[in-house]
Amino acid sequence: MTSEVALTVNGAAPRRLAVPDSERLLDTLRWRLGLKGTKEGCRTGDCGACTVLVDGETTLSCLTLTHEVQDRAVTTVEGIAEDPEGRRVLAAFAAEDALQCGYCTPGFVVSLTGIRKELGASAPDSAVIEALQGNLCRCTGYLAIVRAVARIGNGNP
Amino acid sequence: MTFSLARPSTIVEALRLLADDTEGPTAPLAGGTDLLLDLDDGRSTARRLVSLDKLPWKTLAWDGPRLNVGATLPLARLGSDATVRARLPGLSEGVDAVGSLALRHRATLGGNLGRAAPASDLLPILLAVDATVRLVGTAGRRELPVARFLRGSRQVDLAKDELIESVSIPEARLSTYVWQRVRPANDVSQVGVAVARSGSSASWRLALGGVLPVPTRIPEAEVHLTEERPRPEDVELAANAAATHARFVTDKRASEAYRRRLVATLVRRAVARAQIPPGER
Repeated sequence: MTSEVALTVNGAAPRRLAVPDSERLLDTLRWRLGLKGTKEGCRTGDCGACTVLVDGETTLSCLTLTHEVQDRAVTTVEGIAEDPEGRRVLAAFAAEDALQCGYCTPGFVVSLTGIRKELGASAPDSAVIEALQGNLCRCTGYLAIVRAVARIGNGNP
Repeated sequence: MTFSLARPSTIVEALRLLADDTEGPTAPLAGGTDLLLDLDDGRSTARRLVSLDKLPWKTLAWDGPRLNVGATLPLARLGSDATVRARLPGLSEGVDAVGSLALRHRATLGGNLGRAAPASDLLPILLAVDATVRLVGTAGRRELPVARFLRGSRQVDLAKDELIESVSIPEARLSTYVWQRVRPANDVSQVGVAVARSGSSASWRLALGGVLPVPTRIPEAEVHLTEERPRPEDVELAANAAATHARFVTDKRASEAYRRRLVATLVRRAVARAQIPPGER
């Protein structure tokens, strides 16, 4: 069945779309809204590449039905620079070259932004890194990502 | 697989939709972190999902010595509650063990109970503290211990037109949940061990996950754990009893023999850890 859903994405006015009931938010974002920054990795909730924020909280868009985010605010990597915390994360990733192939990077950037907002600016790096465990980098480029976390923690993005 | 989705706003409407199979097999949808995977690979044949998202069950409240957790409260909110970590540390540790933070923003305690997976990280601690599940159905409300609610692997005592409404969990400051995995993050536990001692019980309760057919208490191990600070030789007897009496599975995560050895180690670890105050673990 297909029915209409009002989606609020990246601060824009709610947009009404006809979406199949069983469609995942990941597919709506990529294929109906053209927001290809959100990546499909495992599609089983293991890799974090598809992470978006729903009402500010990190959410796996591959395991979320589009209709379930009706009336909630969705933020993808394309909108993350509107958020001061998101800008800090982007600057730190750029300064530390915290990416190799880049496929996992949108998920890491969105996740880290959500985690920083949820845990608070004074959270120790170890807690932030533990909360980042849901994001996998198949290039294993973790050291630069950890340096980016530390750079933000030092207030020097 | 495609399906239709209903998003009722009231319990009465949700129960009516669940009882109605005219559109094909119907299933309740909580966080969906397990059910949607089953739909993807055909393990679930549901053709209509009834979302519980709009029901007033995202609640968390202490009622004297018991914690009431609404069925659809996201696990992340349970995990970040400081009173739960102080008064029911084993429950917080079980929540920490489930998936990633992003997954816990959607996954729920009701969903974990209703899906009754053998490797659940939450069922062992619910069994060890003797939690009660509260159900609501067209025929009215009833409640029963989690131990009786779990009927087998992915089987629970829940009628078609019935839903888990909340879980009532007694305070247990002496409680913990420990686990072992191939990878610490984002993996399924090979074995999990929960131990707890609460006011009403004469001994520690001990429950295992990663066993067949579903997480279960091991009374043969509990009989050795009567003292509040069990002696090392009693812990040894309990560890061996748990390894002997549980039924283990061999699967891609571990062999039966490995799980058996693992359990004994985790029982020793759990009994020691449960006696450490939550803030110092």
